[in-house]
Amino acid sequence: MQAASLPANEAERLAALYALLILDTPPDQRFDKIVEFAASEFEVPIALLTLVDRERQWFKARVGLAVCETGRDISFCGHAILAQDIMVVPDALEDPRFADNPLVTGEPGIRFYAGAPLTLPSGAALGTLCLIDRRPRTLDAMELGILSTLRDLAVLELSGREAAKEDADA
Amino acid sequence: MPDSALHMLLVEPETLLRRTVSLTARSLGLGQVHEAASIEAARRLLEQRGFDGAVIAVDCVEHEGQRRYDMTLVEQVRQGLTLSAAEMPIAIMAEQATPELVKELQGRHISRLILKPFRAKVLLEAIADFSGKRPH
Repeated sequence: MQAASLPANEAERLAALYALLILDTPPDQRFDKIVEFAASEFEVPIALLTLVDRERQWFKARVGLAVCETGRDISFCGHAILAQDIMVVPDALEDPRFADNPLVTGEPGIRFYAGAPLTLPSGAALGTLCLIDRRPRTLDAMELGILSTLRDLAVLELSGREAAKEDADA
Repeated sequence: MPDSALHMLLVEPETLLRRTVSLTARSLGLGQVHEAASIEAARRLLEQRGFDGAVIAVDCVEHEGQRRYDMTLVEQVRQGLTLSAAEMPIAIMAEQATPELVKELQGRHISRLILKPFRAKVLLEAIADFSGKRPH
């Protein structure tokens, strides 16, 4: 298993994440709706809106998973936030980065992963909107476009939160 | 989106589905999707400009003791009462293909019937078929 390296802007990324005051907050219908829509649209058992903290990934919204966080060292999203665009892992068992990952070999048994980084206008990738399946699969161009749009809508909600906080601080 | 882009009308009350289809169509270059959350809003849009195609969600409503689907928008287009070509392609979204619905669709030259669960991809494929552009 290969743990993801840290983004070059890790300090700024974490500062932007903490400034949103969103970690460990209660469920929010705006984000819940997006992951529920994604799970239904792509017919995947698991869809998450993840925020990558210093040593964990925490799920702001989730479908199909009981836990609300996992370690960053075993997270797929730690890799996805390094990518410029959507990271697709068609079959985790065939990918040396993830083949022996405990999230692949054990519960929830990840085989397919697609993570769209939640990148703020500042360039800070806070986490992902991701799809997970227990069987190998791929996404075609239209599906990638849909996932990208849902990610953009989630980022808009996050940016709105950022703007609202700036207004409150002013 | 250039002026030469095709203009599609999407009539669908669910905001997230509507926004997802509209924004994805634009990003994939399938055309500009104009959104209407209701038949009334769609009617106003049809009075303002012409469209190259439409995807319309229809509800089953009680009318004089009978269950009927609201086809007034489709009828308006087909009778040439809007700024769009009377023969423009139209796809209909409905909960299920009931005998009442099939009867309503007959003779109205509907290009496609889309049933629940509504997926953005299916709506985008309908729009792509109207525009002749399918992403690879």
